[in-house]
Amino acid sequence: MSGPVIYWRDRILAFTPGESVAHALTRAGIAAFGPGPVGVPRAVFCGIGQCQMCLVQIDGRTVEACLTLCRDGLRVGPEQEINHD
Amino acid sequence: MTKAQVLVVGAGLAGVGAAVELARAGQPVLVADRAPRAGGAIHRQPLPGRAAISSHAARWDRLIAEAQALPIDWAFETKFAGLDHTGTALLSGATNRLMRPAALVLALGAREAVRPRTGWTLPNVTTAGALQIELKTQGLAPQGRVLLAGNGPLLIAVAAQMTRLGNPPVAIVESAAPFAHPLHSLALPLSYLREAAGYMATLIRARVPILTRAEVVAIRAEGTALSVRVETPKGPRVFTVDRVGLHDGIRKNDGGVTACAAVPVLALGDCAEVLGARAALASGRAGGIALARALTNGTPRETVPSTTLVRERAAQQRLARIYAHDAMARLADLPGGTVICRCEGGTLDDLRALGPTPRVRELRLLGRFGMGPCQGRSCGEWVARASADDPGLPPPDTPLGRARWPLAPIAIADLIAATSDTGAAPLPSEGT
Ligand code: FES
Repeated sequence: MSGPVIYWRDRILAFTPGESVAHALTRAGIAAFGPGPVGVPRAVFCGIGQCQMCLVQIDGRTVEACLTLCRDGLRVGPEQEINHD
Repeated sequence: MTKAQVLVVGAGLAGVGAAVELARAGQPVLVADRAPRAGGAIHRQPLPGRAAISSHAARWDRLIAEAQALPIDWAFETKFAGLDHTGTALLSGATNRLMRPAALVLALGAREAVRPRTGWTLPNVTTAGALQIELKTQGLAPQGRVLLAGNGPLLIAVAAQMTRLGNPPVAIVESAAPFAHPLHSLALPLSYLREAAGYMATLIRARVPILTRAEVVAIRAEGTALSVRVETPKGPRVFTVDRVGLHDGIRKNDGGVTACAAVPVLALGDCAEVLGARAALASGRAGGIALARALTNGTPRETVPSTTLVRERAAQQRLARIYAHDAMARLADLPGGTVICRCEGGTLDDLRALGPTPRVRELRLLGRFGMGPCQGRSCGEWVARASADDPGLPPPDTPLGRARWPLAPIAIADLIAATSDTGAAPLPSEGT
């Protein structure tokens, strides 16, 4: 892949400069951003930073995917890392 | 010491309208917005190089050209986290700053209401507004099979915009019967009728089904698709789709900020009263002019009554009658396990466990309603309606009590790193 990319778990996703993390994930068919702390799955709902449903981890911080813009090389993961053991 | 800035929160029609008038009158202004660009919801701007979708683009182009010619400071990708009793405001995000503004203008726009339904928390079920934001920024229709459901003219607008971009929705499911009394619609201002007629022509040409007096009663995940059960006056129907956009009208969004003794606070545009785009711009400008005059002369603020607001208020009341329905009662029929509060996962059963007519304290401390990061902005209406005798009555303004600081979740690291021009230490020192 030429052009700028972000990482979602083991996937590499191209993005358009200025695009939000939520939109880049949505275009790649990723709608479920992981489990939430109280059983409501993390996913885009309001799309404008009001509902706090789209939280993901970026650089060790919990941020709204719908408000955060993609930057080349950004590593994005679920808010809570899923434990597979 | 330089003159303190007026802080305008929100870079949509009302916020930019106010900023322009303030700057023109010589007031220093800082406009903050969570989005990366000015535009707000109505004039959300496309990614660089993509086509603009929003109607009335000329109105926005004129306003932003006016703003760019004036000395206005901008802080994008920045949250307004609150105003404390001393009049100190906290901005967090790309701009991290504690400041003491000369005045605070809230121009936060409207908030979309979505009534809880079975399956409404599934991924790929979003607000219709979120689909519209995606469409406006990408310049493309959201992909896959899309169902739009709920109540209000926005559904038809989003459907028509999707259709024009080549992906018409599978259907529109509308609670009301807006076309049942065409004569009521004729009393709307011509501008409303023209816009609606344009959307309807697009939808009819593309044969998009509009089911009226119909309700989405349940959404289930089926593999990667969603199976949506709809009740219509002619019987039940099931749609298999990829995405669902829900929308049950728009509400004002005061953001929870109350009056502050230390600085003037004023709410303009849709966050004060939902009257739409034309009124938002008029309200922003009028508010900006009045505030500038009050700050310059040290006199109380006097807003001149606006004919635009009066006209738009009448139009909104008429629209509300056209889109009236009695579907709120369906809240009572939802299964007890339906999530009402998305932040804390509170269900209808959790609410019922608090007994009839619970008080705010019980709702918050026992039910944990309104205690999550959205502070009840999303669930307050549904908690109030579901515990009222008649869910159809309008709920109180702040059913779960006043919001507290910070209004939006912020990182402690940002708070510590925030530059302070308040003359005080960057962190409150009490309790250390
Ligand atoms: S989708 Fe609501 S905050 Fe991001």
